[in-house]
Amino acid sequence: MSGTQSVLRGPAHGEFLVRDGDRVTQAYAIVAGGTTWVFHDGVVYEIVEARPSRKGHRGAHVRSELTAPMPATVVAIKVKPGGEVKKGDILIVLEAMKMELPVRAPADGRVEAIHCQPGELVQPDRSLIDLE
Amino acid sequence: MDITRVLVANRGEIALRVIRACREMGIETVAVYSDADATARHVRAADAAVRVGPPPAAESYLNIPALIAAARTSGADAVHPGYGFLSERAAFARACVDAGLIFIGPPADAIERMGSKIGARTLMEQAGVPVVPGRTPADQSDAGIAAAADAIGFPVLVKASAGGGGKGMRAAHDAATLAEAIPSARREAQAAFGDGTLYVERLIQRPRHIEIQVFADAHGNAVHLFERECSIQRRHQKIVEESPSPVLTPAVRGRMGKAAVAAATSAGYRNAGTIEFLLEGAGDAAKFYFLEMNTRLQVEHPVTEMVTGTDLVRAQLLVASGQPLPWRQEDLAQRGHAIECRVYAEDPSSGFLPQAGPLALYREPDGPGIRIDSGVEEGTAVPVQYDPMLAKLIASGETRDAAIARAVAALRQFPILGVRTNVAFLIRTLEHPAFRAGDLHTGFVDEHLPSLLEKTEPSELVLSVARMAQSSRDVGASAATGVTMAAFDPWSRLEGWGR
Repeated sequence: MSGTQSVLRGPAHGEFLVRDGDRVTQAYAIVAGGTTWVFHDGVVYEIVEARPSRKGHRGAHVRSELTAPMPATVVAIKVKPGGEVKKGDILIVLEAMKMELPVRAPADGRVEAIHCQPGELVQPDRSLIDLE
Repeated sequence: MDITRVLVANRGEIALRVIRACREMGIETVAVYSDADATARHVRAADAAVRVGPPPAAESYLNIPALIAAARTSGADAVHPGYGFLSERAAFARACVDAGLIFIGPPADAIERMGSKIGARTLMEQAGVPVVPGRTPADQSDAGIAAAADAIGFPVLVKASAGGGGKGMRAAHDAATLAEAIPSARREAQAAFGDGTLYVERLIQRPRHIEIQVFADAHGNAVHLFERECSIQRRHQKIVEESPSPVLTPAVRGRMGKAAVAAATSAGYRNAGTIEFLLEGAGDAAKFYFLEMNTRLQVEHPVTEMVTGTDLVRAQLLVASGQPLPWRQEDLAQRGHAIECRVYAEDPSSGFLPQAGPLALYREPDGPGIRIDSGVEEGTAVPVQYDPMLAKLIASGETRDAAIARAVAALRQFPILGVRTNVAFLIRTLEHPAFRAGDLHTGFVDEHLPSLLEKTEPSELVLSVARMAQSSRDVGASAATGVTMAAFDPWSRLEGWGR
């Protein structure tokens, strides 16, 4: 940042004043968990601390575990442990806010284990199924 | 038949909208709430508030006995259902009337007539209103649905016979995708409406969704309040609505208005309703087909209010109390342009996945020609149990371009932090050349999705703001402290992206 740029705290919670040369604008920012949320010029930025990449992240011959993206109810499980699946196959159907969210296979593989049951309420990032 | 105290059987922005109209008319209000909404804005705005159950909608906002009991114990003499929840349930309208309450909406039998897609179609055909080829197969087995699709011809839409809002709706372009669509459409229909009956119809390619607002009273008067174009949809749910439509010619507008009034009259309709049409083609030769009737106030009713200078909720209350409509058809005209953007807690880049959690920062914009109808505030936790719409931003101006410019400027001053929203997506939609040109169809979002999802990299200044927010949290700095950030090192540990 050059000498003509500066950031000042504004009068209200989460408010910042941004000076860039002769232009002064308002920005907003809050820290929630590991994410810093910034709003400036109509754009929201989510700035997260860099983490080492997670193990087993999408690839052939690698275990991948699929998680619920948000709190949801399991309405159907379409596969059985040991079953072969193709990329794009629907494995589990979740429901949240009256909408169905199909969980699809990210790659061809075999179902190693299923960690949920129909009717169960699952939380985000909770592992639902392991693929091999 | 005077109404003195209204129970508002809903939550969020629409509950507040009804409460405001009642207050302006000197009518008292009773809010209802689930445990998830005990301190929500609509609860605080009403003259009284009654708990109706735990967070799941089925046990609270959809719980007819609890709502009727709340109306009785609170001394209400009328019930406003809002939209969604029980607003299109004939059983609820009937339960209100049976309990001696005025239902602020259509008669139960009109809801029933228009609520069944098969019945509504037959009625429309008899009234001379054009319909899309389709049917509710008597044989509701997978094979029965598939046979109906074959007879109608692909591509087809499979949807819940019992309701609207895009719930339970699936498009199928061939027999294979249909086989996948049927069970999930049926489950969604069952979950949303308690009725898994499916309806199959021809999918009209590149249609516009244009609807006509109608209003009828108990004295034989029925009018229309022109159109709303609602072609910008995702997951078959509207996100941007405007009036007038950028393509409707006066001749087609006149024909659609007449057809909509004929439709409402043939249904024995009363109060506010909307006739939804699909429009195919352009110019005076454009064809329209009856899609369905929404027997309630619509989410997007403010668009009509802004261009016609009316108050539809006030009119609902007048008509429900037995008074005549406050306008004749010749009193009504469209003036200027209005556009509504629905701000949702959702993640457009993950298939518009609904988001939940606390709104850590939420500041609404204002200014000339800007109206915000919202039910949340900073600190509100967006619950998982309900529709994740946060606010409706309605911009009006003398022309379509002026209204769009106002909407974009206001969206650029609408910071919402802590939960992902579709604000950036809405801005990109409004700024898209095809949108600006009025080249709309219901597949617009899918067709232009990649450009609507483009992200902005954070500038060095944005990263400085982030650093400062983080450091002030770490040291607990007071709000008045000013710090110049120019001397800080780049924040190399962080990666970021804009949405």
